[in-house]
Amino acid sequence: MLKVRIIPILTFNGFGLVKTKQFGNPRMVGNPVQSARVYNSRGVDELVFLDIFASEQKRKINLKLVSDVIKECFMPVAIGGGITSIEDINDLLKIGADKVVIKSKAILDKYFIKEAVFFFGSQCISIAVDVKRYDKGYFIFNNLDLEIPLEDFLSEMIDCKVGELIINSVDNDGIMNGFDIHLINFILSRTQIPVVAVGGGGRMEHYHDLFTKTSVKAVGSASIFHFTQFTPLDIKNELRNIDIPVRL
Amino acid sequence: MVSIIDYGMGNVASVQKALAFLKIESIITDNHKIIKDSKVILLPGVGSFLQGMKNLKERGLDHLLSNEVIDNKKSFLGICLGMQLIMDKGFEPEECKGLGWIKGDVKKFDLKDLAIPHMGWNNIQVKNDTYFSTCKNLDFYFIHSYYINLKNQNEAAATANYGHDFVASIQKENIFATQFHPEKSQDSGLSILKSYFEKNA
Repeated sequence: MLKVRIIPILTFNGFGLVKTKQFGNPRMVGNPVQSARVYNSRGVDELVFLDIFASEQKRKINLKLVSDVIKECFMPVAIGGGITSIEDINDLLKIGADKVVIKSKAILDKYFIKEAVFFFGSQCISIAVDVKRYDKGYFIFNNLDLEIPLEDFLSEMIDCKVGELIINSVDNDGIMNGFDIHLINFILSRTQIPVVAVGGGGRMEHYHDLFTKTSVKAVGSASIFHFTQFTPLDIKNELRNIDIPVRL
Repeated sequence: MVSIIDYGMGNVASVQKALAFLKIESIITDNHKIIKDSKVILLPGVGSFLQGMKNLKERGLDHLLSNEVIDNKKSFLGICLGMQLIMDKGFEPEECKGLGWIKGDVKKFDLKDLAIPHMGWNNIQVKNDTYFSTCKNLDFYFIHSYYINLKNQNEAAATANYGHDFVASIQKENIFATQFHPEKSQDSGLSILKSYFEKNA
């Protein structure tokens, strides 16, 4: 039986790891290579490493550093930040990334995403979808002043045959007050693509809720691992108690 | 020496990293002489079946690998796409002939209520424990949308379940292959690679 995946997400600012709240107020939380080493020794299911300022600052991700992070990992690793070309993707896969995570470029250019899927296969193209909730519904969060309904963006990505959707709730980011269950169900009812739910995990009952009130099979978290005593293993033990399949 | 076949299909660095961790000498290559001189052929790969076959053919590797593995009985380890390509045919994205070392084909998962690709950790049921006997935890990392339909079921070394049972590993004479990624499956995966190379390298 397929196990649910508990995925630590490491967000990077070009110098060190940072953690945001509602996509603002980045706070320094450590060294990426050391963190990767710790997560590998704890046997986590998968790791996501994102340079969250690369696109905004119009720079490329630091390949040397990414390579050092990947060297620590004997589990799947997804890398994202500032990807705009086929060559960027190739550079990351060559140093051992299993998946790349694309966000800004997916908003601007769906033909690029189609091309990337054609070249490298669905399985290694993950799309990060930052979602903000308004009275009139869910929209894609971006700093380009574009008004893109989530539903429209979702159907474009489904059409591109991407391999995975990493759904970040901007409203819940770093707040540690629970996941946006409604958002995750909204997404799951519209696609068969694997989904990673991100944003809001802070206590065990949040994970309990996520996996009992939705059929999602993966969760990504950062704050809970940086700012509380809980580890991915604690979450798995909690889930095992309610018969959610986990890998221990 | 282990030849990790370089045919432009994805993440070969991770495979080599896992072998280096186990202190097994390997080279990433498409050089025919080096491949002929090596003791084990490792075919990794992610991506589409059609592209995989095309890339092997462009490098003259389809004939070379068949000579080495089928005629000369050289040890062969296939991983993910590298396991699928040894079958008679695939359908990704359209019908295409494979290397044909094992009878059967490679079909797309057709599942109503489950996500595709099959992505994540799944447990296997071992049918032939030659390389699995030292493995304590039987969860492995899978990422694939197509699965192998074997003609001869006793060539399955392990199966897993996703909507239905499917072949997670094949073993026949000098051929061993896994649908999952041992190089990405932490201690479980490393233990299989270790036991494989202890017997073959």
